[in-house]
Amino acid sequence: MSAELDSWFIREVLVHEQALERYLRRYRPHRDDVHDLRQDVYVRVYEAAGKGLPNAPKSFLFATARNLMTDRLRRSKVVSIFTMGDFDGQNVLVEDVSPERELSGRQALARLAEALDRLPDRCREAVWLRRVEDLPQKAVAQRMGVSEKTVEKHLAKGMRLMAAWYYGGDAGSGETRRAAGEDDDRSGQQTDRA
Amino acid sequence: MTDRDSRQIEHEAAAWLARRDGGTWDRDEAARFDAWIAASIAHRVAFVRLEAAWAASGRLKALGAGVRAGTVPPRGEWRGEQRGKGHGAPAARAAPSARPHRRMALAGGAVAALLVLAGGLGWGWREFVATEATSYATAAGEMRTVPLADGSAVTLSSGSAIEVRLSRRERHIDLRRGEAFFAVAHDGTRPFAVSVGARRAVAVGTRFAVRRDPEEMRVIVTEGLVRLEAQAVPDGSPAPSALLPAGSVATARASSVLVRTGSVGDAERLLTWRSGYLVFHDTSLENAVAEFNRYGAQRLVIGDAAVGLIRIGGNFRWANSEAFVRLLEDGFGIRAERHADRIVLHSRKDS
Repeated sequence: MSAELDSWFIREVLVHEQALERYLRRYRPHRDDVHDLRQDVYVRVYEAAGKGLPNAPKSFLFATARNLMTDRLRRSKVVSIFTMGDFDGQNVLVEDVSPERELSGRQALARLAEALDRLPDRCREAVWLRRVEDLPQKAVAQRMGVSEKTVEKHLAKGMRLMAAWYYGGDAGSGETRRAAGEDDDRSGQQTDRA
Repeated sequence: MTDRDSRQIEHEAAAWLARRDGGTWDRDEAARFDAWIAASIAHRVAFVRLEAAWAASGRLKALGAGVRAGTVPPRGEWRGEQRGKGHGAPAARAAPSARPHRRMALAGGAVAALLVLAGGLGWGWREFVATEATSYATAAGEMRTVPLADGSAVTLSSGSAIEVRLSRRERHIDLRRGEAFFAVAHDGTRPFAVSVGARRAVAVGTRFAVRRDPEEMRVIVTEGLVRLEAQAVPDGSPAPSALLPAGSVATARASSVLVRTGSVGDAERLLTWRSGYLVFHDTSLENAVAEFNRYGAQRLVIGDAAVGLIRIGGNFRWANSEAFVRLLEDGFGIRAERHADRIVLHSRKDS
């Protein structure tokens, strides 16, 4: 549980989120399920890394994902023969999920701009004022004519959606599309889909 | 830990991050936050992820250049920069609050696009002109990692040499001798090619190693995809090429290519020299000695056939072949004959 471990996690694990989501989705077509699975994979990887960093993080990540899915399948009552057969092999098909996404500065900026543009209007406005113009939340609230609490909620949503697109990319786009269909929540009410 | 809804946790993490980002973060709140994050690894992981993406979003400041303060430009203002064709079709839906300034924002956006474009050119300038070759080499027993101007990194194994040419079209590495590991920065417009004689291994953004032996070229891919090509034969028939996914170990000889695809872990094990170790699993001493000779400065020689057949396993520092030899003497009943320029290994019987 250290800053070092956190930065290892960001550098070696989160960069593969897009590939990981695609991999999980292939076997678990339900979006909510994938979100939960992804979290569990991250938790397991983070826990294991706390005891010693794996020296091939990407394969470790995918091996963990595979084990987790195997465990779940064994526990579930109804098992599709096809799903089971598919990843019963010893090798995780890391190579076929996609090459690593290491972003150059320019690509990262392009991706972030895209993420920004996918935010709902008011949320986008709050993120712009806070992040680009660097205004404190209080000033953002004045500019937008809403309470600070509301700005905080817009930003919280922006943080979630930006992360989904930044790390998840196309895979995370479902997440942002859902949000775009949401209200512009002027009231600051967060739409929770728990 | 698995049964709490991950979305709920993500919402909580975002709420904390946004609150901390605000101006009223006090000691009590910090304490409650610490308790929350310590409560489960799922909390920590969710928070670290959002925090990292939020930190990365600081780059968005670049979009603000030339935009009037307090104006939120309409969506898509920056596409021109990405595609390199000036002012791309701006998306229609301007935020309501931005409407009064729309004209202004558009003009500002154009300026921003120009500025960023200029920034991009500055970036590109180096690539444009830096086509002269740079050479790097390591002596026997030495290992070195060198950063390249495109953001890639090359780790040269012992006794290796490369020549690097970065041009606008291609990043080209000539592996003159030895072995090198490449962590390639992604650049879709400039393939990264490593050539050994008439063969080339080409990647866009990936990690792989290439080794040059007198008779063969070996390519090991640990991430991404590498295309192995041969130069077109003189009669003009197209050269065959092989696609190597992560986990591949390809051995190319004059007229054949053998590709073995296993797990990435297995492939990584062949590259442990980067951390200073040679790893053997049930390896014949003959092969182990060949590996030591490749990396270490001290030459080892197999004295008789029997000794070469002994199978060994373990992790050894390649820079310290003396320690390896002592282990062989102690554990395997091997007799070592030390000469000035080499150590000859014999089975004890024949002494």
